[in-house]
Amino acid sequence: MADQRSGEDLVSEYLGQNRQLAQWVETQRSYNETSKQWVARREFILRNMEAFPSVQPGVPSTCLDRLLSLSMVWANQVFMGCSYPPAVMEKIQHMGEGIVVEDAPIFKSANSELSRGKRGAADESDAESLLKKAKTGPNEVVARATRPQKMAPPPQAPAEHQPFFNRLYKAVAWKLVSAGGFGPNLDHFEILRSCVESCKQTLTCVFVPLKDIAGLPASRTQKEGHVCEIRCHTVYLGTGYGRDEAAARAMASKEALKVFQGCKVTVKICRRRFKGRDVEDLLLLDEQPRSQGFPPALSYPFQDEQGESDT
Amino acid sequence: MGVPAFFRWLSRKYPSIIVHCVEEKAKECNGVRIPVDTTKPNPNEVEFDNLYLDMNGIIHPCTHPEDKPAPKNEDEMMVAIFEYIDRLFNIVRPRRVLYMAIDGVAPRAKMNQQRSRRFRASKEGVELTESKERMREEIIQRGGYLPPEEIKERFDSNCITPGTEFMDNLAQCLRYYVAERLSNDPGWKNIVVFLSDASVPGEGEHKIMDFIRRQRAQPNHDPNTHHCLCGADADLIMLGLATHEPNFTIIREEFKPNKPRPCALCGQMGHDIKDCQGVAREKKGENDEFADSMPVSEQEFIFIRLCVLREYLARELTMASLPFPFEFERSIDDWVFMCFFVGNDFLPHLPSLEIREGAIDRLVGIYKDVVHKTGGYLTEDGYVKLERVEMIMQAVGVAEDNIFKKRKEDDEGFKRRNKEKRRRIRQQEQQRQGPAYMTTGQFAPHALGRRDRPEPVQNARQQAFDMRTHHNQDAAQSLKAMMKNGNNQSAGPSSQSDGRGVKRKAEDSDSEPEPEDNVRLWEDGWKQRYYKTKFDVDVNDADFRKKVVKSYVEGLCWVLRYYYQGCASWKWYFPFHYAPFASDFKDIKGLFTDFEKDTKPFKPLEQLMSVFPAASGNFLPTTWRNLMVSPESSIIDFYPDDFAIDLNGKKYAWQGVALLPFVDERRLRAALQDVYCDLTPEEVRRNGLGSDLLFLGRSHKLFDFIHELYQAESHGGTEIPAELCHGIQGALNLDDIPILPDKPVRSPIPLLRDISHNSAIGVKFKDPSYADGFVFKAVLLSGAKIPTKVLKPGDWERGQRQPWRPQLGFNPNRQQAHLNQSAFRALSHNMNRNQNPGHGQYSNTPPPGNYSQGHYRGGQSNTHSRQHGLMGAAPAFQRQQFPRPLQPQQQQFRGGAQGWDRAMQSQQGAYQQNQSRRGAGPSGSYQQRFDQQRDNWHNRGAPQPPRQPYSSGRGGFPLPPPSRRYDWN
Repeated sequence: MADQRSGEDLVSEYLGQNRQLAQWVETQRSYNETSKQWVARREFILRNMEAFPSVQPGVPSTCLDRLLSLSMVWANQVFMGCSYPPAVMEKIQHMGEGIVVEDAPIFKSANSELSRGKRGAADESDAESLLKKAKTGPNEVVARATRPQKMAPPPQAPAEHQPFFNRLYKAVAWKLVSAGGFGPNLDHFEILRSCVESCKQTLTCVFVPLKDIAGLPASRTQKEGHVCEIRCHTVYLGTGYGRDEAAARAMASKEALKVFQGCKVTVKICRRRFKGRDVEDLLLLDEQPRSQGFPPALSYPFQDEQGESDT
Repeated sequence: MGVPAFFRWLSRKYPSIIVHCVEEKAKECNGVRIPVDTTKPNPNEVEFDNLYLDMNGIIHPCTHPEDKPAPKNEDEMMVAIFEYIDRLFNIVRPRRVLYMAIDGVAPRAKMNQQRSRRFRASKEGVELTESKERMREEIIQRGGYLPPEEIKERFDSNCITPGTEFMDNLAQCLRYYVAERLSNDPGWKNIVVFLSDASVPGEGEHKIMDFIRRQRAQPNHDPNTHHCLCGADADLIMLGLATHEPNFTIIREEFKPNKPRPCALCGQMGHDIKDCQGVAREKKGENDEFADSMPVSEQEFIFIRLCVLREYLARELTMASLPFPFEFERSIDDWVFMCFFVGNDFLPHLPSLEIREGAIDRLVGIYKDVVHKTGGYLTEDGYVKLERVEMIMQAVGVAEDNIFKKRKEDDEGFKRRNKEKRRRIRQQEQQRQGPAYMTTGQFAPHALGRRDRPEPVQNARQQAFDMRTHHNQDAAQSLKAMMKNGNNQSAGPSSQSDGRGVKRKAEDSDSEPEPEDNVRLWEDGWKQRYYKTKFDVDVNDADFRKKVVKSYVEGLCWVLRYYYQGCASWKWYFPFHYAPFASDFKDIKGLFTDFEKDTKPFKPLEQLMSVFPAASGNFLPTTWRNLMVSPESSIIDFYPDDFAIDLNGKKYAWQGVALLPFVDERRLRAALQDVYCDLTPEEVRRNGLGSDLLFLGRSHKLFDFIHELYQAESHGGTEIPAELCHGIQGALNLDDIPILPDKPVRSPIPLLRDISHNSAIGVKFKDPSYADGFVFKAVLLSGAKIPTKVLKPGDWERGQRQPWRPQLGFNPNRQQAHLNQSAFRALSHNMNRNQNPGHGQYSNTPPPGNYSQGHYRGGQSNTHSRQHGLMGAAPAFQRQQFPRPLQPQQQQFRGGAQGWDRAMQSQQGAYQQNQSRRGAGPSGSYQQRFDQQRDNWHNRGAPQPPRQPYSSGRGGFPLPPPSRRYDWN
């Protein structure tokens, strides 16, 4: 948080010293830009001015137009969900580094979900829809790095995974019926495993000793034990703690099976912590509203090399 | 207009505005096509003066049709367009003017919509090809058969944009077409053809409106011109109303929903691309002779009569005891204005006003309430009175909350009903015990050796009835069982079917995931959430909200002005993706003063740069295209690869809002400055602004005048002498590459022949110009005659007059064919009426097909079926005897000796006028033709209806029925 504040302060301070520049840069604001968008874009312009040495404030030039254009590309990408050719995106990413936009809208595409029952196949996949998420909760103010593509599952992932989990949901339901219903005396892992395998998939379990997890409350850190995270098909199912790995895995399976107790399961992209950062992760959820957030992720399958390198 | 539901709503609410077209089809004789003679009276029993074609509505279906195979190349497309125009010409048969307008460069306000359409089209196209390829591979792997991939590349419908080579070719082809028809088609002999191609700025329909508006405002205009405008857009209705011309008709294709489409992969009907199996094609007809014919009926046309809509509106809008005098014409303008709130091409519609929810009725209701307080009308000649609009908006704003809540309720109700329906259907399926081929009732299988042996059939009829109704009973039973047992299917015969039920249900529950809606307009705090999610601003950001409202108010003013006065500013556009709420329209009076004057439209290639996605860049020169993709480009931000579509509460992507960046005009122009030098001379020509063209044939009165201009080489805007061209005015300029008589015209299409004997002449035409600040008055012109009323008058008393007869076509006195008593006697003498005892007094068999084809078609279509039957049954008799008794009768009618109802005759006043004012024009030839026709009848001995629509001589009118006629009612 401190970082962002200072970024914005820096800009206003800089402009305060540079009256002429401040006046000029204000003329570049478009009529339909909100203050939030403008502040971010202004920072983008000012930060990258040096890279375009021939740009003279107040003097129209192709060079200036290029800078303005790139600033618009950046803003469109962040605020409108547009994407551009890879060469342009790369450039923008580079130029936009370090600019922090609080509470930026999130654009998801729900391709396959929406194309169902549409006017025929012609627009089978144009259902690229966006679902903007407004996060207004005060405790949820998150700073989003302006590289949404890098550290996130692909936006169409929930839709892709959903059919599999629908099948799995049914498999689990039947399995539990034959096992006499959900209860404490089951071998939860075995049930989950057989169901997943009957759906031609495998489970991924990640184990981490509890003491290796940083940032836990002091009372917990002394405890011995292991934490297990279960994923299937990169989608997070549950986390559990136990004295040994098997117990942790059983606990995690139990947590995962709890999700299957609702009317249906949904794959969603949600924010959660991973190694001290906020990331977007694919989670399997039931319909119940959640009172608390999710446990921090132990693994993160959507990391690319770039993302890895700066952690 | 961007309101697909508008027309449906209108035609349901005001059904009488629609009249089905009567179309005479060309005949074929020994393989030779005999063209329709369009000089004959219009079979629709009305004569139109001017036909206007909004060409884009024709080009699109002809180049990429949805219900037939696409044309193979550009030449075929052109021929398809020609045929389509021919067809329209045959239906409408204009007598004075044919105006063809192709969309030119549009105002900025429209460009955002064009941009979004083209970006979407491009995206859809790519995705379609991809999915096609995927499916093809899959099917071939499964061993299916698919016809080999066509070699032709996909037609990019984006090329239907001014400035492309395609549009340029089209303009050339249309010139050829017009010259050809003017030279060779007798129906075109006396008409003036205007061609406004894509090089003339302005949208097609608005160029047409400009023409009408500018003709109307000059003194020579004939106030009773009958206009017919072709196009499917709902805003043509608004435009037509906005002209205040009394005779205005719109012709459009009849919309038939759910037309079958061929599969995009194998080209067969009956399935979608998704379900394509790659099965071998079925043989069509015994020897596969129908292979290429589509099992769909040809698209038919309908007329929309705006004079009838005006009648309806008069009923709805007329208000008594107003504090100011009621003027119907002004209230029409207000109605048009209010329709803009619900949707138009230039502004997103207000979130609370949804046409499907009766928004226009709601608005009219509010309007009638509020207008008492406003002290006047909302608009005048296309200028908006903002303080009055504010009162309307505030009234809508009050209801907003309830509208959103109601919308949610309706939506939920709809979903619930749908779900129940699905469940019912499923249960019915399950209830059916045993397989479908198992017999039931009397014939149900019985186990051997049981006591209940099948009984003999008591009452076969009853038994058959029971079996027929059995399924229904089943359904009812299952419904009862369902209600009794809840969802538990204990009534089912076997546990197996139980299992199936449960399974199905689980499948069903995830079949329709709903898109997430974060705005939730039905919950408190909707306004805050709306501004937050849609605009990404806080609701307290009053400045920003004010900006949006200001832009929207400007938009309303711009749109109305556009419809009534023409384009006020080529530059203005609405710079947001969403509309504000009605309740935000506070203190709007001062928000708008005037538009920037003397703005210029884009050049065609500039427009291409601002509406095309990078994927359509092949229509542009290389260096220009480069600006759309290069990271070094200073306008790269206009061309995203991919973009988000916000469903905005809608269900389908095509209804959603495409979140595309707006074009910065300054930066675009600056960037293009550097690449202008790369244009070839050909491209420079295409980039220029063109002029409207006027064409006419040798027998037109204006012909010699224009010919003279070319011979005298008189440059510099000659005015048309009003008396030579039905009062049409405008300035003529010599064309650089003119079409001249006796100069052969080369065919641009290899399929078609050059015109060696050309008798058409072409010249540049410019609409009459008016001083700056001239205001086109939105009033009825003096001398305009309102057409006869069509709707049943509210005070029609059954006792006083005859029973009300609804009018079905254009002709108020549509004649039914009648026989008098002596004719009946003659008939019964010749025909044994007891021959077919089962069919009543006379045979009801329909007439043989040839009777419904000839040129009587229009006249006969409404004759009573009995006559049809008679004529069909006894042609020999008619040939000998029929005409004779009729001749004296007709003369009698003409003399008025049979005292028929005078009132009826005077009702035709307007119509009569319409006919007689043609003066020396076509009506003379009608007379002639009539005589000829009569001779023909006698010679050929074809059956003659006992009347001749329209052409019973000059001044004579459709003959009223004899007083003692058979009452068919």
